[in-house]
Amino acid sequence: MLAFKNIKKSFGPKQVLNDVSFDVKAGECFFIIGASGVGKSVLIKHLVGLLACDSGEIWLDGEEISRFDEQQMGPVRKKCAMVFQHATLFDSMTCAENVALPLRKHKDMNAKDALAEAKKRLAVVHMQAFADRYPPELGDGMRKRVAIARALTVDPTYVLFDEPTTSLDPVSARRVDTLIRELCDKLGVTSIVVSHDLSSIFSIADRIVMLYKGKVLKIGTPAEFKATDNGIIQQFINGRAEGPMDL
Amino acid sequence: MTEAVRNPRLHALGAASIELAEIVGGMGVLLARILVRIHKFDGEELVKNLYKMAVKSLPIVAVTALFTGAIMVIQAAVIVKRFNAEGLLGWGAGFGTLREIAPLLTALMISGRVGANNTAELGTMVVTEQIDALRVLAIDPIAFLIVPRFIAILATLVMMTLFADALALFGAAYTGQGLLGVEPMTFFNGLTGGLLDFGDVFNGLFKSFVFAFVMALASCHFGLATKGGAPGVGRAVNASVVASAAGIFVLDYLVSFLG
Amino acid sequence: MSATTETHPDPSPPDASEGVEAELGFVGSIGAAFLDIAVAARELYSVFVRTLYYVFRGKRVKGAVLHQMNEIGVKSVAFICITMGFIGMILVYQSGLQAKRVVPDFTMLGATYLELLVRDFAASIGALMLATRVGAGIAAEIGSMVVTEQVDALRMSAADPIDYLVVPRFLASLVMTLALIVIAGTVAFCSGAATAYVFFDVRPDIFFNMQLVDVGDFLTGFTKCMAYGAAIPIVSSWCGLSTFGGSEGVGWATTRAVVNSSLAIIILNFFISAAGFLIFPG
Repeated sequence: MLAFKNIKKSFGPKQVLNDVSFDVKAGECFFIIGASGVGKSVLIKHLVGLLACDSGEIWLDGEEISRFDEQQMGPVRKKCAMVFQHATLFDSMTCAENVALPLRKHKDMNAKDALAEAKKRLAVVHMQAFADRYPPELGDGMRKRVAIARALTVDPTYVLFDEPTTSLDPVSARRVDTLIRELCDKLGVTSIVVSHDLSSIFSIADRIVMLYKGKVLKIGTPAEFKATDNGIIQQFINGRAEGPMDL
Repeated sequence: MTEAVRNPRLHALGAASIELAEIVGGMGVLLARILVRIHKFDGEELVKNLYKMAVKSLPIVAVTALFTGAIMVIQAAVIVKRFNAEGLLGWGAGFGTLREIAPLLTALMISGRVGANNTAELGTMVVTEQIDALRVLAIDPIAFLIVPRFIAILATLVMMTLFADALALFGAAYTGQGLLGVEPMTFFNGLTGGLLDFGDVFNGLFKSFVFAFVMALASCHFGLATKGGAPGVGRAVNASVVASAAGIFVLDYLVSFLG
Repeated sequence: MSATTETHPDPSPPDASEGVEAELGFVGSIGAAFLDIAVAARELYSVFVRTLYYVFRGKRVKGAVLHQMNEIGVKSVAFICITMGFIGMILVYQSGLQAKRVVPDFTMLGATYLELLVRDFAASIGALMLATRVGAGIAAEIGSMVVTEQVDALRMSAADPIDYLVVPRFLASLVMTLALIVIAGTVAFCSGAATAYVFFDVRPDIFFNMQLVDVGDFLTGFTKCMAYGAAIPIVSSWCGLSTFGGSEGVGWATTRAVVNSSLAIIILNFFISAAGFLIFPG
């Protein structure tokens, strides 16, 4: 169970998040949507302690974590894995070494066992053939899958995805979607996905929150979003250039 | 900032002082964070960095040292000819090489090769969010990245200085033969004839340790403080080599007077 | 001078090159290294020749050289003064100690120091410092322009990047290196004189002794200034222009600029010193 309560965050004079509150239920695939620059990524970075909010509370499984320091954040980060927008693998390590690193650090494995286990985990995301390649040699979609494998090594209960399908070709994008859905269905992981990819939103989301101008515009299921008569939401989910939305 | 600056020169001076204090303070904080975690270094990263920093620098250190030894002999040659004292060539070139020039030039070359590269790598990791990725995986970036690099730079520079000492004397001896007709044996006799001892070598090595210390701190500090994409990485590397060079000269002075 | 330039610009992971070594064997990898050096030498030569061509034929943007003179020269003054001030103190202190062991006579300390300074140290150590500050700066700036495709934009508007970017830096560096090295020598001499007075009781008027400085020393020193002043911008611009691949590439280019400029200085120093010694012996 995860809850954001009255989160406020500004960068200098720019108020990015202004009183954002919502809950995420265990095991669901929860989407955060909104126009570019509305603060979606900023919001999920609060959860893993990469940013600190100006005011508000973040409750994770009965703990208020928004004021945790780097040390206290450790267990939280093992519970909440994050997949970055650009995959952000370590360039100087092979894919297998990337996945092996958290295994070596957190599961007390030696280098050899960790590499063997990493290759197994790469097989889960169908990347075993590229285990010994370096990330810059791979395409965006492949890197993203390796990043997902790496995020799952710590056996998280929550996985945060920052725009997982942006900059991917449509086929790779749908494969990543399938992978995210499988995490929820097979492993019972709670996925929190930041996205503005309409096909992802309406194919795998259980529930959606839409942010607009630093506030929550609407929370609901995909069906409820489609049925709404709010002009801004309709403009967004139909991808129209003209409409009531201010950018 | 909105208020008009009354005295722009004074303002610039103040800004520069604050910036300097910020850099020194940042390096101090970084040092404290490194020392707290010094026992928790990652062995694999250490070996990787030692290979990348030390082994890969061998050619450039070798070239620098050979030429430096040769130049030292050419500079000493004028004096040797003037006093017609060939026996002193080894001592004349050796003293300066071991105590001053070899540690200094090796440090400057390693600062360019290793220090700058280290800043570039860390800077790239910062701007591409790789440091954040480490933190999100609950891995401490200081213990995992910085501590092994810090140790590796210290070890690299001291080893490279010793290597450069040997090669520089070698280059000096044979330049002496080619240019002045002084036999290498005469050169080495002049070296070991009692005017030089291991104290001079240790003095040089101690210096290189101190240089490595400031270089390691500066390169890690500027790397981690990188902001603003590709141009930011370039600026960070530039700042890092300049700070290392200035630090090296100032510390050289202090160590020379203490030792 | 480019025979030893470091030619591994490849920002790809370290193991990629080892794979090549494994395939080629030891001899093959040495051959590959020489090929790399040959390619680098040719590129460097081409940048140099094109720069010289545009110095005489290019269309100069007004104020570009002045701007670079400010960037390269004026902004390096403080850095040069600090480092050369300290090195002056160290050199005199060390050579004083050295002289004490043989002849406890300091009357010639200043003369010898001044001679060394004019012939070598002012130019060479000063230039090494400039390679660090100016070389890194040039490579970082040009490298960033390459990866953000500004250099391509220049090409598209029919401006040769060499004419537009390298020539102003080259001209500014030629002038400013000479000026900075004169400053560097002066600062090093003054700090040396102060050290001699404090530690060895040598009065400044005795320390300032031009007796040993002759035309040969001046010519050698001057040649070095010119050679270094030309080498630093050419080598660094070449490193900057051959940047590829994002922020990592810019970092690599900057690193290579510092290392290769420093190497160029050390190697040029060797040849000019040897030539100076042979032409003006004693």
